[in-house]
Amino acid sequence: MTGSLGGEGRAGAAAGPAGTETITGPEPVIRLDLELPLDRFVLRVAAELGGAAAILGPSGAGKTALLESIAGLRPARGRVEVGGQVLQDTALQDTARGDGGRGRSLAPERRRLGYVPQEGALFPHLSVRSNLLFGRRRSERRSAAVMAELATVVAALDLEPLLDRAPRNLSGGERRRVALGRALLARPRLLLLDEPTTGLDPERARKALGRVRQVRRELGVPLLVVTHRPEEAAALADQVVVLEEGQVREAGPVREVLVRRFRGQGAEAETLVEARVVEHRDAGGVTRVRLADGAGRADGAVGAERGVEMSIPWTPDLEVGASVLLAVGAGEVLVASVRPVGLSARNLVEVEVDALTRVGEAWLVQAGPWLAHLTPEAVRELGVVVGGRVWMVVKTHAWRVVAG
Amino acid sequence: MTALTGLGGTLHLVAFTLGVALAATLLILPPGIALGWALARPSWRGRSAVEALVSLPLVLPPTAVGLGLLLLLGAHGPVGGPLRRLFGIEIAFTWKAVVVATGVVAFPLLVRSVRAALEEVDPRLLGVSRTLGRGPFATFLAVHLPLAWRGVLAGVVLAFARALGEFGATILVAGNIPGRTQTLALAIFQRVQVGRDREAMVLAGLSALIAFLLLLAVEWLTRRRERRLER
Repeated sequence: MTGSLGGEGRAGAAAGPAGTETITGPEPVIRLDLELPLDRFVLRVAAELGGAAAILGPSGAGKTALLESIAGLRPARGRVEVGGQVLQDTALQDTARGDGGRGRSLAPERRRLGYVPQEGALFPHLSVRSNLLFGRRRSERRSAAVMAELATVVAALDLEPLLDRAPRNLSGGERRRVALGRALLARPRLLLLDEPTTGLDPERARKALGRVRQVRRELGVPLLVVTHRPEEAAALADQVVVLEEGQVREAGPVREVLVRRFRGQGAEAETLVEARVVEHRDAGGVTRVRLADGAGRADGAVGAERGVEMSIPWTPDLEVGASVLLAVGAGEVLVASVRPVGLSARNLVEVEVDALTRVGEAWLVQAGPWLAHLTPEAVRELGVVVGGRVWMVVKTHAWRVVAG
Repeated sequence: MTALTGLGGTLHLVAFTLGVALAATLLILPPGIALGWALARPSWRGRSAVEALVSLPLVLPPTAVGLGLLLLLGAHGPVGGPLRRLFGIEIAFTWKAVVVATGVVAFPLLVRSVRAALEEVDPRLLGVSRTLGRGPFATFLAVHLPLAWRGVLAGVVLAFARALGEFGATILVAGNIPGRTQTLALAIFQRVQVGRDREAMVLAGLSALIAFLLLLAVEWLTRRRERRLER
């Protein structure tokens, strides 16, 4: 699909082979320095983020409240800047309460932020079509330009069959797609997504995330997503801010931050890697994917495995060439000291160990994006040491497609 | 007086009563919706005081309300005086006084119903509308009111019904002048006073029938709303 949203979109971003797509132009930057009073604590967030960012935190961390404040729907003190535009600049620690202190603060309708609340919040009294066009003036709705934008969004989100339906007759996934389309059609500076997969089963969640990734690639809209799922942050964002107990715990490139956090966890830690679909081997019952260049860090941690191919469970609805995010639990990754032979597992990769972390009674081996959970005995017998080389082995069916 | 008996007189009486109640309802509709909206908004300073003030006519003796209105609107009152001097408009003891009295007494019912109906709408929808570029007023017209219209309409009907039956305030500020300010409620009183009990009973039955139909409408409107919220 080619198309653009208004003058700011990028027509037909290249969807070439793995890792070649580039997003042109300077990415708008989100600058936050906010303080918002919540029931149990005051949330303080100071962060500078690129065009695809995530805020990760447990439920009750104030994530939704933060999005509402950015959108201008909830009073907060401080500064919000998106793409060089100052949306709010009020004094921090002002004694005035409830009014956000003194200073400038744009009303929500003037911020042009595409807020997509949890579960969509579609207008129940309007059809899907009217919901989609809600952000446009009645007078311009019939204009050719708006019709073209509608067509672009409808095609990108596969909304054609839903246009004349009522929101109450839509499934959870459909509602979210409509809500996303509605936000996009208002031509936002930034999309604000609140837990985009809450309440969806794993397959629907995978498709929903795949859809957001595709829309982002094709329409080039910056986004800020809040979520409690690390894999969702990895699927949608380049940068992440971790919120805990009203504070920013950590911030940085999403993969580095997640790997660092996973190190402190045991078998729940996950290897998250980007890949592209190569082919579907229907008879073999597998889908083949090629891991993206530098699925880990650029410094060569997985340098030897560039372009390594792997088998994942047969997932015929993934298009060949499509980008996917894969996950495998640290407890399901085997480690070998030499290249294994005579093994049913098809997915082998040789990596250099970056870190060995003690987690309770076990060890977590980290090599680039790869995380494996080992017993102390296995670590001893295999002679796993930092800087040493090991083989990671993943069963086909241990892979989960997180987004695609 | 003679023209005011029999079927013709009764029809005139009913038409006059419905007419002033309708005028009163229309008169209080814009301020009622505006005030209901303001009271439905998240807490602001003085909201409780305004709420209590608005509800006052609900619990005051209607005659006290009527006395207040009479002092205000009378020929020498702070409102009635200037109106009479500057524009030649007389309010007290005319049909206009009936409209004002019934409107004031019905006002709290309208405001409270409007407020409750507006509060039921998911505030997230209003927030989303704002982020999509609609200001507060546009959001009210495009999202808030359309989603609350049943409750608002129920409030309007309730206020209308209350206006129909108003007695105490009306008799003080408008008197009980047959053919000029006499409504059904006042007519019943007057018929009983002069011993025309049969007529009074017919009028009372008529009032009961109209009120019953109106309350039926209110029930239907609110029931439908509850059912919608349950699903």
